Order: sequence, then structure tokens, then C-alpha cells
Amino acid sequence: MGPRAETREAILEAAYGCIAQDGITRTSVGDVARAAHVSRASMYRYFPGGRGELIEAVVVWEYQRFFIRLYEAVCDAETLEEVIERGILVARRAIADHEVLQVMLRAHPEAVESALRAEVAPTRTLVAEFLAPYLEQHELAPGVEVAGASSFLARMVLSYMGSPGRWDLEDPAEVSRLVRTELLAGIVPAP
Amino acid sequence: MSHLVISSDVLDSASDVVGDGGAVDGRGVRRPAPVADGASKRLKIVDAAVRCIARSGIGSTSLDSIAREAGISRATLYRTFPGGRDAVLHTTAKTETTRFFAGMAAAMAAATSLEDLIVRSISESARRLTSSAALNAVMAEDPQKILSHVSLGEMDRTLVVVTDFAHPFFAQWLEREEAMRAAEFVARVVLTYLATPDEDLDLLDDDDVAALVHRFVLPGIMALGPAEHRR
Repeated sequence: MGPRAETREAILEAAYGCIAQDGITRTSVGDVARAAHVSRASMYRYFPGGRGELIEAVVVWEYQRFFIRLYEAVCDAETLEEVIERGILVARRAIADHEVLQVMLRAHPEAVESALRAEVAPTRTLVAEFLAPYLEQHELAPGVEVAGASSFLARMVLSYMGSPGRWDLEDPAEVSRLVRTELLAGIVPAP
Repeated sequence: MSHLVISSDVLDSASDVVGDGGAVDGRGVRRPAPVADGASKRLKIVDAAVRCIARSGIGSTSLDSIAREAGISRATLYRTFPGGRDAVLHTTAKTETTRFFAGMAAAMAAATSLEDLIVRSISESARRLTSSAALNAVMAEDPQKILSHVSLGEMDRTLVVVTDFAHPFFAQWLEREEAMRAAEFVARVVLTYLATPDEDLDLLDDDDVAALVHRFVLPGIMALGPAEHRR
């Protein structure tokens, strides 16, 4: 990471700390500058759009960190079933326990939604690429190709991670049922 | 529970605005039957509002432009909708939602098998949601207004409303609990492909939908039930 990227990272980390402590509404550019030990002028060099741009960048930054932590939690899984089950469980618990996210979703859902809109498609591609090798190692149902299956799986896994709907996805038995039915029944051969 | 408010609100609008005697024409558009004068006037205004929104978005749709489009005076419009522009827009949203679900119900009721029901649900909802000029205008003007219903905070509520509506159709082929899950699963499939389209899969292409359902969606739903329920 170059010095410019390091400073940007330090600002985002400080901004995240301010939001976690005081909430979005009470976090100003000045507060973040003080916490990150940079001048207000530098703040605007990194985030010319000011407070709005900074907050949007913090949401994206934390979203990316979320997926890095998720990757670290599941990357040693050995089978397709295991990696998806563990991924959904870890993600749901992390979202439920994520106080800053919960507060932001209650108070500023539209800010979260608009910051993350551009992230949806790239995230899906990454998840599909991550799942592809697990599919390659697994016996697949006749006619199923890795590309189509990984793309469908990535969409559905992200859908359930974001919104559990009728499923209790903090219960390992429910997650296992979801994975064996809706997610994998068309992809792996029938037992 | 808040979703119940939404569902009953939507259901209310069926008798409230469209009237019970509406007929569905060849393109699945619900036409008003001759109903009480007040109801037909409300519908005329709502249809004018839909055309205004389709043409220039919600922001540029004023009470005057709706009145002009409906061919009535401002005063008449206020007599019909004392709440003014907000009331017209609210009723318009409710009416369009009702029309969407009425069209979906007609398409889904004609299904001849579970697989056919899934295919119809996906194709019909994709066709309706992408072909509405008013909805497209709102998306272009303020995507947040639409997308917020299918993102993190609100998606669960949207799924509940859609599942409440759709599960009875699935219950023709599945036990109730599986029917609820099946309806939710199909709604997720539609929402993910519409919200962020796929290069290799077009929900408006019948062959693409048939292949998606046959390969991934139907087996996932069949697996939900105990083996003796599968048919």
C-alpha cells in the first residue's frame, strides 16, 4: 500500500470508529480529521465530496472488510456443502452482531443501499469465482456446468445472506436443509 | 405486524379503486367495468397519473398535469381526491400494485404443473416488471425508490408480502410449509436476476427461464418435501 492509500485507509478507519461511537449524524469531517490526525484540507483532498462521500466510502470499506473476514472464515472448508453452510452461518451471525450496520440500517437505510449498489455485481462475481473450484471437485448432476452453477449459487447464497426470509439461518440444521434443498438439489446428483 | 398492513392495504385497493367487475383484456391489462361514478372517476384519474409518470417521472407530475391528462378541472380532481397530489400518487401506487398481483394471479392460476407454475411466475413477473413504462420512469428518476424494497433492510418484508400472495398457488402441488418456502425461493430468483441482470440469462427469454427452472429451481423445490410428497 502506497502512502496515499495508507492515509486513505487511516481516514476510513477513523471515520468508522467515529460512526461506531457517535452515530452517523453526529460524525463530522472535523471529528474524523482529528481522530485520523490529518488536516481538514487533506480530508478534502482524499474525499472532495466531503461528508457524504466520506460516509459512502466508509460503508463500502466496511462491506469489503466484511467479505474479507468471511473469506478467512470459510477458505479452509473442504467440501462444497461445508463451504456454503459455514459461509451462510458466519455471514448471518456477523450481520446480526454488527451493531454499526444495524444502527445504520435502522437510521439511514437509503445511505447504505446507495453506497453498496455498485458493489453487488462485483461481489457476486467474486463469490462465483470462489465457489467454482469447489464445484470442480464435486460430482455434478448430469448436464450441469461449473460456470452456470457457480453463477446461480452465488446469487442465491448472497440473497440468503442478505435476507433470511422464512429461514432461521442462525440454526445450523436449517442452514444444512437450505443447502441440501434449494441451493444444491439441482447441482449435485440426487443422494 | 407491518407486512399485514401492507398486504391489506394492497388488497383494499382492489375493491377500492378497480372495482369488482373489471375484466382482463388480451394483454392482461385490467379494464374497468362500468362501476359507480365515483369509482370510475378515481380510476380515470389514476390512469392519467400513470401516463404522466410514464412520460416524465414522479417529480414532474403535478396535480395540474394529472388533471389536464384526465381532461378534468383541478376542482373536480380535488373533489375526488381531497388529499391532492399525494393522495393521487398513493392511490396510483396501490392500484398499480393491485394490477400487478391481479395479472400474476391470472397467469399463475392457469398453471398445469408445478414446473409450469414456476416458469409462469418467473416469466410473467419479469415481463410485467420490465415492461411498465411508469415503473421504468421511476427507476430512471430515483432508483432508490424501487431498489430500497429489495435491498438489505427491506428485502425481508418484500419477501413476506410476495410469499403471502403466491403460496396458495404452490399449495396446489406442495404441503403448506413447502409451498411458502417455494414461493419465497421463486421470488428471490426473480428479484436477483432483475435487480442485477446476468449476461448469460435473460428472464424475458422463454428458453432461458425454462432451462433455469428445470435445472436448478424445480429440483431445489422438490427436495424441500418428504419423498412421499414428490410428484
